[in-house]
Amino acid sequence: MKLVLIPALAALTLLGQSQNLIPAPDSGEQDHASDLNVNSRYTIESINFADQRQYKLSTSALEDIRRLIGAKVNTEALDRLSQRIRAELRAHEVTFKLTRGQKPEAVRVLIQVDQAAGVVDASVAKLFYNSQQGFTGVGEVTATLGSNALTFRMLRDSDTLIERYSGIQARYDRLSLADGRIRLGFEFDAYQDQYDPSTLAALDGASRPSSLGAGAYGSRLSYQPSATFVLAAPLTLTVGLDFEQLGNLPMAARPVSANAVINTLRYHQRWTGAGGNKQELDAGYSLRAATTLLGSGLAYTRHLAHAGYSYSRDAQSVEVTIVAGAIHGQAPLFERFAIGDSAMLLGWNKYVLDPVGGNRLAYASVKYGYHMMRVFYDTGSVWDQGKPAQVKQSVGVGVSGGLGVFEKGTFLLALAFPLQQGSVTPVVIAGMNF
Amino acid sequence: MTPLCLKRAPAANPETTGRAARTQAALVLLLAMGLGAMTVSSSGLLPHHASGEVRVTAPGLHFLTGKSLSRLHDGATVPFDFQLIIASGSKNNVVARALERFIISYDVWEEKFSVVRVRDFHKSGMRLSANGVESWCLDNIFVQAASLPAGQQLWARLEIRAVESRETLPTDSGINLATLIEIFSRPSRPQQERWSLESAPFELASLKP
Repeated sequence: MKLVLIPALAALTLLGQSQNLIPAPDSGEQDHASDLNVNSRYTIESINFADQRQYKLSTSALEDIRRLIGAKVNTEALDRLSQRIRAELRAHEVTFKLTRGQKPEAVRVLIQVDQAAGVVDASVAKLFYNSQQGFTGVGEVTATLGSNALTFRMLRDSDTLIERYSGIQARYDRLSLADGRIRLGFEFDAYQDQYDPSTLAALDGASRPSSLGAGAYGSRLSYQPSATFVLAAPLTLTVGLDFEQLGNLPMAARPVSANAVINTLRYHQRWTGAGGNKQELDAGYSLRAATTLLGSGLAYTRHLAHAGYSYSRDAQSVEVTIVAGAIHGQAPLFERFAIGDSAMLLGWNKYVLDPVGGNRLAYASVKYGYHMMRVFYDTGSVWDQGKPAQVKQSVGVGVSGGLGVFEKGTFLLALAFPLQQGSVTPVVIAGMNF
Repeated sequence: MTPLCLKRAPAANPETTGRAARTQAALVLLLAMGLGAMTVSSSGLLPHHASGEVRVTAPGLHFLTGKSLSRLHDGATVPFDFQLIIASGSKNNVVARALERFIISYDVWEEKFSVVRVRDFHKSGMRLSANGVESWCLDNIFVQAASLPAGQQLWARLEIRAVESRETLPTDSGINLATLIEIFSRPSRPQQERWSLESAPFELASLKP
């Protein structure tokens, strides 16, 4: 049995997108008759942060937001929400702005956060443990001064990639330019890398894939300037560059570079319909193209597309996720696809599926929830072009919910079963959000 | 509906009157120094007399500007506190005063203003232009002509203060004369938007409707 603590339901604690969730037309906060704001006759369609930035709010603050969406504009309630967010973010001032909604008689609420006074926030962003693969954890400190944010992270990740890496991330963000429609960022990462024995064995053996761009590097440096444009909220486009240096390669005198152009198109929206149903769509496409024009020693293109849709009403919810990816050319290990982790194909061991990852990925998942109960079905495969894909499946059941006094946290406890011939070993998954 | 009017009681003691006048003069001087950004005009305020009520118009006054207008365009409600003062004999000898709070909001769909007089919510103006809502506010603050001395030289002064979003607001039903008097008795904050206009001297009998 293995124990994995995963960052569960991150979307609920990292608020950066619209929060069209559960309306409460008969909420106690509604006092429409006494609201002297002429806009109190309009229905709140969505609540977003004006700068499109991701802010971490408490579960109860998110619940307040959910209650307001779908209800009539209530100036007093919006003022209270603004003050609550101001207190949680320790911001200088938080105000709200109403704009026309997509439908007549509907308005959007944009929350404007002024952090001119400057704040420093330290937190453990996520923490989980895998008895086979070790700890994964991220601690971060963010200093915000006006529209500038500096973030420093220390992390150890044995879950996301084929390699196990630990190191630091330092990031600067210019949060709001052109009235919040542009964000600039620069990130520097420095990692030390380790590998599972099965990965090293595969790299040394005859089964080493010809599409692999580099061997087992011992360190990785990354410099990433980027700009994010709000094309038409909530549609955003991120363009940038990623200069990667792979060091300490066996039998390599000099580091190998993997310098790529980055493009990411993302759409994330939530809707609240009549009758209280809630829908959410999160879709994105990213392209990383490493080219010799940028002085890269490796040339490849990496495509990754994902789409997730969820529908919930009352106590029930259904979520469907599809992910597909393809790599052309010779990409290094950190670019190759892996499933069988805490996010995709739960219950499987990624090193058993493919210890060096693949250059093709297909994955789908269906989850059903009733109150705190969750059941899910995962299927997917990673493989190399030209080889047959072996589709794997898993099912699971679990519970999830908030942590009460730890308002920013949620937890997930699940039992996942990899479906395979012969013995089936269930995997216990326990995760926490911070 | 009876407006919020105060009639100043006549002073009984000349010494007290002199001290009070000096105190008032000092306060006025302090206020004038402290309210450097206040707009003061001696000719922009025009009093009118009709139906036993004295109202004012101010063709050149536009208080829906700047930060307040921006807040309104953002969909917020912005309260404005009004004080209309009539002085007799000297500008510091207040003989009548009316105070009102108007709450203005801006319809983000119709792009029109609405205004409510807090003292009586049923008194409201809907779908008004910026100029229209400014005129509406002036139409809805007045003093009773009966409270003014006849045959004496009078001055009218209008003060307006935008209520800042951070100020603690009395509840809508709790706004009262004492609250407004207290608001206008203290200096405005440095960043607070405020306006002040004075009329030329006039006599009640000479006012036109």
